[in-house]
Parts: sequence; structure tokens; C-alpha cells
Amino acid sequence: MNHNPQSSDGKHDDDSALSDFLASLMDYAPTIPDELVEHYLAKSGFQCPDVRLIRLVAVATQKFVAEVASDALQHCKARQAAVVKDKREKQQKVIYLCLLSFLISFGLSDPLLEQDKRLILTMDDLSKSLREYGVNVKHQEYFADSPST
Amino acid sequence: MSHGGVESTRDTKKDEERRSSLSGRPKADDFGRSVSKIAVAQICESVGYQGCKESALEALADISIRYLCDLGKNASFHANLAGRTECNVFDITRALEDLGDSHGFPGASEVGNCLVGSGTVREIVQFVDTKEEIPFAQPVPKFPVVRNQKLIPSFEHMKETPPGKHTPSWLPAFPDPHTYNHTPMWNERGSDPCADKIEQARQRRKAERALLRLQQRLVCNGSTGTSSSTVLDAKTENIQESRSSPFLAVPLQPGEKDVSEIVLPAKLSNEPIKDDHVSLLEAYAPAIEAMKTGPSNGLDSEKMFLPEKRPAVQFKFKTGKKVLGELLDLSLQKKGERSSTFFLRDEERDDKKRRAEFILRQTTEYPMELNQS
Repeated sequence: MNHNPQSSDGKHDDDSALSDFLASLMDYAPTIPDELVEHYLAKSGFQCPDVRLIRLVAVATQKFVAEVASDALQHCKARQAAVVKDKREKQQKVIYLCLLSFLISFGLSDPLLEQDKRLILTMDDLSKSLREYGVNVKHQEYFADSPST
Repeated sequence: MSHGGVESTRDTKKDEERRSSLSGRPKADDFGRSVSKIAVAQICESVGYQGCKESALEALADISIRYLCDLGKNASFHANLAGRTECNVFDITRALEDLGDSHGFPGASEVGNCLVGSGTVREIVQFVDTKEEIPFAQPVPKFPVVRNQKLIPSFEHMKETPPGKHTPSWLPAFPDPHTYNHTPMWNERGSDPCADKIEQARQRRKAERALLRLQQRLVCNGSTGTSSSTVLDAKTENIQESRSSPFLAVPLQPGEKDVSEIVLPAKLSNEPIKDDHVSLLEAYAPAIEAMKTGPSNGLDSEKMFLPEKRPAVQFKFKTGKKVLGELLDLSLQKKGERSSTFFLRDEERDDKKRRAEFILRQTTEYPMELNQS
């Protein structure tokens, strides 16, 4: 462990940054309510009277979910772009496709495509994005209703 | 879990939750799960989604709950490792690093750096700064609700001394002796099975009488001559016999009735009492008509009823057993044949009463015949 004066300054900065952040958390309202977080933390043995730490955990979970959702959204948009790609294969507009992917990476939609399809979160996209986080979600394609099928 | 093709936005989600909660038993964690579903849907909306599949939303909510629980477990583990029971910010940071190892965070490969400057915390700080604040849609009450348990009072509380020296007084008191001691109980009420049976039969007859009266009210009395029946004639015979000497009177022919003249009030219609033997169809015709017309003619039927009805006369039954027995057999046989139509026929109220009383008498004298009725 290095105990340079620079790193100690850095540590002080980090300390202050952390304490400032925790103080600012009191003003921030995370999407996941405090009562829910408290309930599940109590269930798993987490004991802490400090509200800021509860907020920290809530924000961390929100970040995780937001990341997963945004990854899934990218998969969804890529899938829609792939559909467009099949349509325009005959036109052999490679340059256009590059531009399209560039636009999609920025979150913009293809201006030439009629975006009548809404963005829906599906199991497919979700399982693909969760795989990167080490969560394997396998979903049944269909269920056979009767034993004869 | 079936992959429902239902697409739901945040607004319709609550209705679906209510619907799904109505089906099936509610589980202990339902409330927490539904709240987290709402929160996750809000997050998805903020990311850019316009809708989500029900199954996908449920899966994501489940995973977020698991993440939350994992964080807590990990943080408490690190706290315990350090010899504490309460967690602090460093425990949470360590837990975040553990969970973020699979995905990677800046500074993950560095060993021995201070937790304060951890990459995960910095990422969270960045997230909070960039993302706009989305508060939860609805106020959430404190849950789970803790109910005050009523504890068994201790020996001290009951001001009792525990029976043995080995039992401390702060333990719950023993139950009262009456709860475990069996004392003999004497049944004061004497039971008489025969009398009980008779009482039961009497009550059944009473109920039958009431039902007959109701039927009479509903059924329209079309033709007045249909009231005659062999059973009734047998009874009327009996009635006539009872007035005078029962064994010496001449029995009436079936279809004939030795009835007294009825003085009808002016308002009622005068219908002649037919004495001739009526055919079966004619006998049932008014009943059939009544069934067709329905109870709407109730008032009319009552009016038409009245000419048939004789003024209430109390008869004293002093008939012998034999006669009764014969007649009862007859009545029972007839009953077996035409039990369904018996109720449909227009009978006089008094005759019904008399018949019921006859049967009751019969049951007192012939208890075996109870089974037949």
C-alpha cells in the first residue's frame, strides 16, 4: 500500500467526494422505494440504521437494472435494423448500412424506415443482455397444452 | 410461466397485477414483487422502452430483487468478517465489487487500492449525476406489517407459583386444570327415541301441509268437479261415517259425494258441483291449464276455490283402527301411483288437513308405516 502524499490527497478527495455523494443522496429519490429496499435487505441480513446506505443500495440496483434494460434496448433496435437490412439487401447499399449502424449506436432511428413498431421489452432481448451479466434466463418457446401434441 | 402475448405499459400494469392477484392464492412476497415490478417498469420507460412483455417484466423484476438480496447478503458477510453486525459503506462497496466482477468496472484489476476511490462507487456517482431523477410512482407504506402477538402470561403475571422449584417464574404459566381434566357430565335431558320419531314425523307432516297449501294457492282451480278422487272419496266416506256410527253407514259410490249445500256469497260465481264420475283427463285439465297460465291467475283461482270450499267444520275422529288401516293402505297405494299429480289436483283445504291428521294418527299407531311415507 502506497502512502504517498499525493495519494493521501487523492484519498482525501475521494473521501470528500464520497461523503458529498452520500449527502447528495438524501436529496435524490431513487426509483426503487426505500421501503422495498429495506424489506429485502432485512430479509438477507443487512443491518444498518443509516438511510444513506439504503439509498446507495437502491441507486446501485437501479443502475444495474438500467444497464440491463439499455443493453436489451440495443439488441431490440439491432434486430429491427436487421429486418431493415434484409429489405435493403438487394439494393447493396453497404455505405448506407454503415451509416445506419452508426445512427443506431447513437440511439437515433433510421429516418427512411417507418418506425411504426414500438419498442417492446421481450424475453429474447432480455436473456441476451443478461447473459453478459452472468444470468442465464432460458424461456420456453411454447407450451404443449395436451399430452397428445 | 406462460409467455403471454400481452404488451403492457406502465399504466396498464397495475390492472394486470390486480387481475393476476385475484386468481390463485396470494403468496407472502406478492406485495414486494408487485412494487418492484412497478419500479422496474419505470426504469425501462426511462431507458426508452414504450412497452414490455409481461413475462419479461416479471423476469426482470425477479432479477432485480435477487440483485438487491445478493447485495445485502454480501455486505452483511463482509461486515461479519470484520467482526461487526452493522454494515457500513465499505461493506457495500466490497459487495458491489464482488457483484460487478463479472461485468467489470474501472480499477478491478488493481489490488490493494482504497475502497473510497473504488470504481464501482465512481460509476454510481456518474450514474446519479447523468440520469434524471425518477421518483417512485406511488407512496409505499412500511411493510411487512408487524402484528403484536398475544403471548401466554407468565407465572409472575398470573401471580401463581410454579409447581416445581426447577421451573422459573418468568416462564409461561400452565393452563387451567379444567382444560385438561375430564369431569363426568350428566345428560339431564332424557331421550326417548320413539317420541323423537313421532315428533319428527309430525313436523314432516306440518311441513307437507304448508307446502300443499302453497301449491293450492298457485294452482288455478279450473273445473270444480275435479276435486273428487277415489282417495278423497274414501276419506269423505270416512268422514261421513264418523258423524254417525262408522260401521253401519252405507259407503258412497266413487264419484259421489254426500255434501252439504253451500250457501255461496253473491260475489262468487256459482258453479254446479258435479257428482258424476269424471275422467282422468278432465280431472287433470284445470291443473294443466293452471300450469300453463301460471300463478298470474292466483286471485281468480282463489275466488274459484271458494265455491268448493266448505265452511270449516271440525270433525271428531272416532273411527276404529281397522277402517283407518284399510283406508291408509288405499291412500298410500294411490299415493304411490299418482304422487306427482296429487299436488296438482285442486283439493279442498279441509280435506287435506283431515288426510294429514289421519296419517299422523296412523303413524302413532303403526310406526312401521313411517317408512312408506
